[in-house]
Amino acid sequence: MAQPRLITGYLSALSAQLPAPVVAELADGLGETHQHYLRQGLGPDAAARAAIAEFGEPSLVIAGFAEVSPARRVARRLMCTGPLVGACWATALITGRAWAWPVQPAVFLLAGLVLLASIGLIVSAVAGPGYRSVVRAGLAGCAGVAALDAFLISAVLLADPALGWITSLALAASLTRLMFSARSLRWCLADAAHSLR
Amino acid sequence: MRGEELKGHLDAMLLAALEGGPRHGYAVIEALRQSTGGKLDLPTGTIYPALRRLEQAGLITGSWSVVAGRRRRDYELTPDGRQALTGRRADWRDFSAMVTAALEGNPWPSPA
Repeated sequence: MAQPRLITGYLSALSAQLPAPVVAELADGLGETHQHYLRQGLGPDAAARAAIAEFGEPSLVIAGFAEVSPARRVARRLMCTGPLVGACWATALITGRAWAWPVQPAVFLLAGLVLLASIGLIVSAVAGPGYRSVVRAGLAGCAGVAALDAFLISAVLLADPALGWITSLALAASLTRLMFSARSLRWCLADAAHSLR
Repeated sequence: MRGEELKGHLDAMLLAALEGGPRHGYAVIEALRQSTGGKLDLPTGTIYPALRRLEQAGLITGSWSVVAGRRRRDYELTPDGRQALTGRRADWRDFSAMVTAALEGNPWPSPA
């Protein structure tokens, strides 16, 4: 039996944001709810309205899935560990007199801009309500942090090979985070393959 | 019961709904509705993200099937999920006994 337009419209609103397997599961649940109201004697449209009212606003469902998305989990972990890794690097760069390294100031400026953009993206992935925007921001934020870690590791190894303990700590933190970012990017890309079409 | 009041207890309720065997999302919701005498007042659509969260935590596992031309995801408890349910039941009993004692002025049951 063809689904009422209300149901297809509701599912379209979900499809615009959520991965296809999630929408398929929700479509099954909504279909069952619709059938339940049909069995109670409501007409197709009234049953569709009742089923949709029971399911809740699409924005509510989308926000619920955004909350449990891989991108948000990754962004949360980066947000929690970021200040610690950042503090290690700030101390390492100051004590290592990074301004005297043979690195173009423009490169440091670019790294600073990538850092600011990554922070913004990670905050957006943690707090944003839309699923797609969370996936995009999480992916980009994670990639930005990975690029920063790679830059810092390369810069310190080239410019200051005599590693002090704080620089070694910062390197270890960045290497750990780089491995986490690489693994996280795989999770997020797999999810994005379903949700960003 | 309102969603806000359920916060923190929904996961345990979902685990309990799956204790009897595998169920798909709508069947989980129906089971919760029946076990609470229809008092559960929660947008159905918000149950699905909660199921996904439990799956990510390894407490339930999901598998796909096709029913009446529709893709359906069935969930069942994992051994970790059964253990978590046992723990949460015990926690809830302690918590509800404590609140009941405080609200109704009954003495806290002394250990046997």
